[in-house]
Amino acid sequence: MLENYLPVLIFMCVGLITGLVMILLGGFILAPRKPNAEKNSPYECGFEAFEDARLKFDIRYYLVAILFIIFDLEIAFLFPWAIVLEDIGIFGITAMGIFLGILVIGFIYEWKKGALEWE
Amino acid sequence: MIESMMSFVMPIWEWLPMWIQVLVTNVFFIVIIMVPLMLSVAYVTYAERKIIGYMQVRIGPNRVGPRGWLQPIADAVKLMFKEIIIPTNSNRFLFLFAPMLSMGPALAAWAVIPFADNIQLADVNAGLLYILAMTSMGVYGVIIAGWASNSKYAMLGALRSAAQVVAYEIAMGFALVGVLMAGGSLNLGDIIDKQAGGFFNWFWLPLLPLMVVYFISGVAETNRAPFDVAEGESEIVAGFHVDYSGMAFAVFFLAEYANIIMIAALTSLLFFGGWMSPFGSYADVPLLGNGFHWFVIKTMFFIYMFLWIRATFPRYRYDQIMRLGWKVFIPVTIVWIFVEAVMAVMQIGPWAV
Amino acid sequence: MSFTEIVFYAFSAIMVVAALGVISARNPVHSALSLVLTFFATAAIWMLLEAEFLAITLVLVYVGAVMVLFLFVVMMLDINITQMRAGFMRFLPFGILVALILAVQMILVVGPANFGLDVAGFASPVEHAADYSNTKELGRVLYTDYVFPFEIAAVILLVAIVAAISLTMRRRPQTKYQTPGKQVMVKKEDRLRIIKMQTEEKQ
Repeated sequence: MLENYLPVLIFMCVGLITGLVMILLGGFILAPRKPNAEKNSPYECGFEAFEDARLKFDIRYYLVAILFIIFDLEIAFLFPWAIVLEDIGIFGITAMGIFLGILVIGFIYEWKKGALEWE
Repeated sequence: MIESMMSFVMPIWEWLPMWIQVLVTNVFFIVIIMVPLMLSVAYVTYAERKIIGYMQVRIGPNRVGPRGWLQPIADAVKLMFKEIIIPTNSNRFLFLFAPMLSMGPALAAWAVIPFADNIQLADVNAGLLYILAMTSMGVYGVIIAGWASNSKYAMLGALRSAAQVVAYEIAMGFALVGVLMAGGSLNLGDIIDKQAGGFFNWFWLPLLPLMVVYFISGVAETNRAPFDVAEGESEIVAGFHVDYSGMAFAVFFLAEYANIIMIAALTSLLFFGGWMSPFGSYADVPLLGNGFHWFVIKTMFFIYMFLWIRATFPRYRYDQIMRLGWKVFIPVTIVWIFVEAVMAVMQIGPWAV
Repeated sequence: MSFTEIVFYAFSAIMVVAALGVISARNPVHSALSLVLTFFATAAIWMLLEAEFLAITLVLVYVGAVMVLFLFVVMMLDINITQMRAGFMRFLPFGILVALILAVQMILVVGPANFGLDVAGFASPVEHAADYSNTKELGRVLYTDYVFPFEIAAVILLVAIVAAISLTMRRRPQTKYQTPGKQVMVKKEDRLRIIKMQTEEKQ
């Protein structure tokens, strides 16, 4: 089993190295480097930025991220279930039915509370 | 000639330690996958400009080389010689690291794709799960790029893109659960084997709603039009990569297109039988039968769909995107998973395992 | 040393270094990214234990979801780093004490003796053939033998949903929402009024 994952590991390294080589090649070997203050200023509409760009933002984004974690976990639970469905039969379906039923209650709750609304 | 070269090379090869042999063979195969992939990426950009051009009744690039065929090469060379501008207020290390972060997973996901019968770099059991994990890592490149640039446009683009990708990833995951139920395995090769027997045995038929959800989520995941609010030109210039230039920009671009090809390839693998021939009874006849060319044709068709969708639909508003992801796709997929599970256990119709 | 051992030590080293990076990096974003690397190295080590489902799920859930939330939080909360680091030396002894107590507790609880493993040396897992599916094995027991813990997990997730919403939902009264249902149902008669008027004379 492990020997199947060796190419995967090597591929990940090669992928990262490709990105690195491209940036090094493009940015530091082939391309010119002539920075000046105007060129290096952050993109704005022609004037100096008033404040730091790292601003506080709507808490809704955190909520989306939290809900995403929960649903991602649900998917992680569904994956093994889906591939052993033949073996566990009616019992397995009922177990997952209860599981999803409880979570659908949560989903309805967030829907009714308006957590999924964006203006 | 070749024999004499072989007799010269083979002893050296055998003299090398085992781990170098393994490494070299693997890197060799990876290069065989990656070079055509990079070329496809280059020519998908060309195809995109040309096809959308014709759809909008204009010609598209036609100056570099005959009919503009050398355009992508020219673009690549130009980007290579462009300066990478690193804004003063940015975080230098993360600014340059972000493109790599989006490139790495976009390429690494290709390790487990079966290109034809038994032609696959890594035949892992949890192949589909691995691909899902890799695609979920793509969001890092975007968030880090947006933050490291320290520009408002980049920041807003990164936020929008992250929230959107996250919403559609759930719909995508649920759609994949349906595929797993039909395929009975996480191994991509097994999933394709289950679809043997021609056009009407492929999974698109029993899983039709999931197929639609999967493909649209794929379009949204890759931030393509009509879901491209992350780089909506009229609102936030170019989104998370406003401040990127030269090769750093090119790496983002490559990763984005590698992801598009990935989604197209996955749609063809999971719902349209991958390298299976649509004519089930001719499975062993050359050309009409199963083979790599069918995989390429199907993948090209779905890449074309991406371009077609882009040329057809106007951009969604952000609240519409979030509504579609959370309130339409997730309920649809949950209901369909239930239908499929009950049907599979009752042994009804095409869902019978 | 076999190849697997080399891989094990390499990833362990990465994990320890990255974990140190999490607590020592000055920039919170750097430490969040170090945490990502730590999870990644952990996943690789789990993979060496032939727990492929858990290893990839670790990447999927922790790297793909939890750390995204972490990054959101550390990026956007204006944390004043100098303020955070003030009093570092003063609290250091206390911190070390707490860390020691935690370490002792963890050794007591998750030590090998509690799981009936040989204390002198861990037995390495049985090597499986290439077609062994860890996920299937897991699925067969998770939804049958361990069905109650599984349902309890659902309840915990439900609590998490409710808690997250009640903690973070703030509806600002002046925001205007669009109701897509109404938007779609709109007809010409509701919006458009055609007025008859006389053509104006040319002057």
